[in-house]
Amino acid sequence: MTMIKTEFSITAGPDLKDDTRDIHYVPAPCQVACPIGTDAPSYIAYVWEGKNEEALEAINATNPFSAICGRVCDAPCEPACRRADSDGAIAIRNLKRYVLETLGPGYALPPVAVTQEKTVGIVGAGPAGMTAAHDLAEAGYEVHLYEATDRLGGMMFWGIPRFRLPQAAVQQDIDRITGHCPGIKVHLNTALGDRVSLEELKQKHDVVLLSIGAFVGKPMGVPGESAPYVEDGVSFLYRVNAGEKPTLPETVLVIGGGDVAMDACRVAKRLPGVKNVKVIYRRDLDAMPARCEELQGAIDEGIEIVYNTQPVEVIDGNALRCVRTELGEPDEDGRRRPINVEGSEHDIECGMVIAAVGQKTECAELDAAGLMEWDRVKTNLEGMTTGDPRVFAAGDGAFGGSTIVEAMYQGHRAAYYMKAFLEGNNAPLSYRTPYRTRRVPICNDPDWEVNPRVHQQFHGLGQVPIEFPEVESTYSAAEARTEAARCFRCDAETGSADYTVGSRESIFAMARINPNDLDKQTSILEKRLENRDNPFTEEHVATLDDLVFLPANLSRLVIDPYREGCVTATKFGAIQSLKLDIPFTVTGLDDAPSEIRESVAKSIVAHGSAYIGATTLSEDAKWIQVVTTDVDPAADAIVVDAVQAIAAGQISRAQAGQPAGLLVNSGSVEAAVDFALAQSLDFLLLDPTNGLPGLAGELAGAPDISIVHRAVARLRELNREEEVDLVYFGGLRTGTDAAKILALGTIAVTVGASMALALGADISSGTTVFNANLDAAEREERSSNLLQAFTAEASMMARCTGKTNLQNLEPEDMRAITLIVSRAAGVPMAGSLHQH
Amino acid sequence: MVTIDLSQTEITDANNRIRDCGRDGQDVEIINPDARHNIGVGLVDPITVNVQGSAGYFCGGLSDGAHYEIEHNAGWAVGDNIYSGSVVVGGNAGAIAGVAIRGAEIVVRGNMGSRAGQVMKAGTLCCGGNAAFMAGYMMYGGRIIILGNGAAKVGQDMSAGEIFVGGKIESLGNDTIIVDMEAGERDEIMEFLERYKMSYKGDFTKVVSAGKKLRYANSEPRSRPQPFFVSSNSSNYWNPKVQEDIWIKGEVGRYRIRGYGASKPVPHLNDIAFVKDVTSRQYKSEELQDVNLKTTVGGRYGAKPLSLSMPVMIAPMSFGALSRSVKIALARASRLSGISENTGEGGMLDEQREEADQLIFQCLSGRLGWNVKDMQRADAIEIYISQGAKPGLGGQLMAKKVTPELAAIRGIPQGIDLRSPSRHPDVLGADDLVIKVEEFREATMHKVPLGIKMGAGRVNDDIKIAYKDGFDFVELDGLQGSTGAASTEVLENVGIPTLSAVQEAIDGLQEIDAGDDMDLVMMGGIKDGVDVVKMLALGADCTSVGTSAIIAGGCIACMQCHVGTCPVGIATQDKEHEARYDIDLQSQNMHRYFESLRWQIASITKALGYDDVHKVSRDDLVALTPEAADITGLPLLSEHPVLNRPELGLEVLDRKAG
Repeated sequence: MTMIKTEFSITAGPDLKDDTRDIHYVPAPCQVACPIGTDAPSYIAYVWEGKNEEALEAINATNPFSAICGRVCDAPCEPACRRADSDGAIAIRNLKRYVLETLGPGYALPPVAVTQEKTVGIVGAGPAGMTAAHDLAEAGYEVHLYEATDRLGGMMFWGIPRFRLPQAAVQQDIDRITGHCPGIKVHLNTALGDRVSLEELKQKHDVVLLSIGAFVGKPMGVPGESAPYVEDGVSFLYRVNAGEKPTLPETVLVIGGGDVAMDACRVAKRLPGVKNVKVIYRRDLDAMPARCEELQGAIDEGIEIVYNTQPVEVIDGNALRCVRTELGEPDEDGRRRPINVEGSEHDIECGMVIAAVGQKTECAELDAAGLMEWDRVKTNLEGMTTGDPRVFAAGDGAFGGSTIVEAMYQGHRAAYYMKAFLEGNNAPLSYRTPYRTRRVPICNDPDWEVNPRVHQQFHGLGQVPIEFPEVESTYSAAEARTEAARCFRCDAETGSADYTVGSRESIFAMARINPNDLDKQTSILEKRLENRDNPFTEEHVATLDDLVFLPANLSRLVIDPYREGCVTATKFGAIQSLKLDIPFTVTGLDDAPSEIRESVAKSIVAHGSAYIGATTLSEDAKWIQVVTTDVDPAADAIVVDAVQAIAAGQISRAQAGQPAGLLVNSGSVEAAVDFALAQSLDFLLLDPTNGLPGLAGELAGAPDISIVHRAVARLRELNREEEVDLVYFGGLRTGTDAAKILALGTIAVTVGASMALALGADISSGTTVFNANLDAAEREERSSNLLQAFTAEASMMARCTGKTNLQNLEPEDMRAITLIVSRAAGVPMAGSLHQH
Repeated sequence: MVTIDLSQTEITDANNRIRDCGRDGQDVEIINPDARHNIGVGLVDPITVNVQGSAGYFCGGLSDGAHYEIEHNAGWAVGDNIYSGSVVVGGNAGAIAGVAIRGAEIVVRGNMGSRAGQVMKAGTLCCGGNAAFMAGYMMYGGRIIILGNGAAKVGQDMSAGEIFVGGKIESLGNDTIIVDMEAGERDEIMEFLERYKMSYKGDFTKVVSAGKKLRYANSEPRSRPQPFFVSSNSSNYWNPKVQEDIWIKGEVGRYRIRGYGASKPVPHLNDIAFVKDVTSRQYKSEELQDVNLKTTVGGRYGAKPLSLSMPVMIAPMSFGALSRSVKIALARASRLSGISENTGEGGMLDEQREEADQLIFQCLSGRLGWNVKDMQRADAIEIYISQGAKPGLGGQLMAKKVTPELAAIRGIPQGIDLRSPSRHPDVLGADDLVIKVEEFREATMHKVPLGIKMGAGRVNDDIKIAYKDGFDFVELDGLQGSTGAASTEVLENVGIPTLSAVQEAIDGLQEIDAGDDMDLVMMGGIKDGVDVVKMLALGADCTSVGTSAIIAGGCIACMQCHVGTCPVGIATQDKEHEARYDIDLQSQNMHRYFESLRWQIASITKALGYDDVHKVSRDDLVALTPEAADITGLPLLSEHPVLNRPELGLEVLDRKAG
């Protein structure tokens, strides 16, 4: 096997649970866009099913901060959603919030015991550190969390304003994590270098993770910014989140275009004294890093965004001198570099300037240990290692500012390598985000194609802005269900064995790569060259699915199935006969409730059909008695067990002229044919399920359809094909199934399980169980509809092959597509025309 | 007046001269017509052609604006598909007079044969005498005036339009009723009769569609497909999909409908492998420059063949099943990648014609959107007999998709649940088809390749007829071919797999020593360059991709094309939904898909050791399953005399996922 080099390949260790080798699953674009590979399609489908606990399992499996992310994740899944280009991405983030709010803060996960002797020290309880703590605690390690402040959560607590992320939501996640992971020991107010040293940590623990965050705001780098009315965004948000609600000047300027800038401006807008808040950003709207929902929220709250403007000096006397910018060539990160426009200096009056232009890390202790490089902990991304072999690092302190979900990814990644280290594995396979699926069925909502995205209710500043009420609320249960139904389910199997989810995604990939990217082209070609497993192995059972009808084209004239007629009248019995309007009879209702039997009786009368069973359905409905004790003179025909009849040497009719036949199982075909011919019987009822008049045999699985070919072959051998009629029972699910059986040489069929299912029977127990979920009129209509549909389907097949009479269907109208069915049915293979 | 003596002139030469006269504005008289077929076919200038005698089949057919006067009788299908203009037959007319007309006036002074005005869309067909059975059969619009008697089944299965019968009506057709004439209608008829100097004093019986057939009180509940395509397995024989099917049939009393093709597993190209590891080396684009992929289709009888940059076409898919935006994007992608686009059933869009360099125009039984002007601006013409998804059934378009715009281009009433006829009005057998082929060649001055599209059934027989009927190419569609709407029963159970189809086609043609002058285009489940090369190695000359191109252009394979509310704006006529489709983006995506396909074809060809994709052969293939070996006659890998040595690493050829 050549190594497959697609993006789906696994390079992670064997202990990572991953489903990408399941041929019926491909990670959806939303899942791939999520740094931690959240199984969004599954939790969305669970929301539709109303299974919130299962949804939380799917969310929480990769995301311990589910309540937080349900509100403030930057949600890269949503722009990746294939529905984003159509009528709006699925609201993946808000559905997560819905699940967490519905389950509530009291919802706990079972605790995981400490099973390992080694311990872990983690510095910093932000998303990276706590995710790593969570993973390692789940793996059985005792994890000591050292947090400088008096709160867990890091930037999630200190950096995001309460109107976007209430304290309760942060607490909900922290409580769930600490309840789930009692092995996490928390040490608050324990700053590194102040209350605890790196050396101490290394002595106490087998391995240490530095996830110290980036809590120091970067300066703008312009003259005058040391003025007292200039503050950095991180510090501003920190003190407000600590409980301060300072009165500010009338006009506040916020510098920057990221999420901190958005939060800072919206906080300022709510504080006493403030009338105007303006955001000064040096590029244009398209280049703005802030999430568009946050930007829109700011605009909706009355904040002015000033684009293409850059501060050059803080003017003493409450103004900011700015220049206008134009966008030049793209720089390293692909965004176009702003260039100052000469002579465009202008002053913007203000009472306060909040500089939200980036954060950095400072730590004297690590500096002294030689672990810092510039404003970060020097970290190797591949193994998350630092200059000290027992010290790992992750999060903003290691790699600079990132989103919560990126920090969580780093936490997972660090935990993976730390666990390998703890297990003595010095060269673990490279980490890769695992992709899992819960294989939740596609939700079946009729309006899934039509419904547009359901928007969350937006409250803006609220009635009392200073109290920081939440800016938006989540869905109601009905809204959540409607939104969840919209998911395309890019991860799930399609329903086509030809255009499977795997081949669809390969085609998608072919359509989205650079034609000259040979590595990608080759990796797709490798994938396309994979042969499926043979669907027709030796265990494959011969069923009617492997027979096809041959359409009339040029060598035959097609009969229009929409408009032209097809004769369905059936003479049931070769010598003595019963006249039926259709070749469909019904069976298997001997033990059904009387309401069911009465309804079916009416539809049998209406369609000119008959019932085959031990007891009659009604006086009007034609009845073919399966003789168990005495022959009933009222029966329109009788059928007797072949083995018993042969043993008795004869069968006795209740009256002369009563059509009579044998009930034939697979074991007695040839003998039954011979006996029927000798006794001049009228028909053979072929029952490979060995179950008539009951349905348990039919419900047990695929019937052995070769019984028909065997009976025909015996008759043909004797050259007496016209002298006895063949009737078939077993596994007929459609009118097409029946048409195939008719074409093989029978004159009529009887349906059992299909009729029961049409009447709402539950077959999960292996027998038919009827419920009171339909009224008499509905039952009669349904049983009638089934006979009508089956008859129409069978005649559609006949007309497609160019026949105007169902009885004229013949084996030559069909081909086999598998060898096993070619043998079982005596029909040649399509393509080779070989008869097997 | 120019005189043409048909006893001295071949019909093709005569028609060329008539066309020249048309351009010069000169009227023409035809002497010694001797009931020749195809007189005056394909004329698009407003001149008068006077036939001094009797005309054979298709006189005046496929024309627009000309006037024909036939002194005596006319054969079958007089005035076929005329757009505007007139035909006056002095004597009697054969069957299907005025078939598929879209606005002309056809007057038969004597009697006319059966099925007169079949699938006509507009205009007037008038008969001075009696009309044989099924006058107005499946008509979509316009009016038929019969001054004499109407034989059995007048107006059989008509969708719209009016039939006025002066004499007796032997019997009404299915789904018709007699209604009172509206004010002014009689005056309009009298004005018409007067213009053609026909006198009539009696009354009329007006017959119209009752509008009941093929309309259902209850619609099928919508549901998304369940991934239960593996039904042929004992343990899940009565699986949830089977149960859902039965439950819904119990509710609606008829077969179910969906989009896409057969969903069950059938033997296919991925049960065959190449005898070499074709990815052992990665070829750079420059190295593939000298691999010839160019493919011509349709040069058998001297028409200008389609010239494709690789052995790939875009499959016929209609404007109707698909939105206008998608048809434009497909046409653009076809141009960017140097391949051909196909109109499918719904007629030709101007934007589609402008975007596509090479466009195949498809002619279906209902003649929806069919007309001579679009024939003459097509690069190839294809007569549709059937398709892999639903052979035996005509096209099906749910009412939701039959918008005013769509109805206009197809020439049908808006909002009808459209089910195209299963048969062509004028092709009831191989012999009719020969004459139809000639008519099309006359209408296109023998310059345009003519193909036939068939869903695979008795391919071994059908391909021989196609060959002998004189087609330039055959587009043969296996069971896996997709559609926008069809009965699931037909989707799953009618037709043979694509793999079987190509084998029967090759065998059938060999049996009659046909050589290789008729091009064989295979379709139905072609997804990538791997499939294309395998198909060519099996004997096809070209392939055609439909579903895969649509998927490349954004289709999510939900199989709900029939509902009309496609979530990505592909299979819809709803403007709101169509607005979700980005033509620029998706045409580029499809273009990239075709370029990836091209790279795959070239790489595999090169790896197999050839400089031309048309040199690949069966020797390059090996069967992986007993079914594939039986169907194709290829050796089975596990029994292969040369390859079956473990040291060769058979797993490289039989690559399995996972």
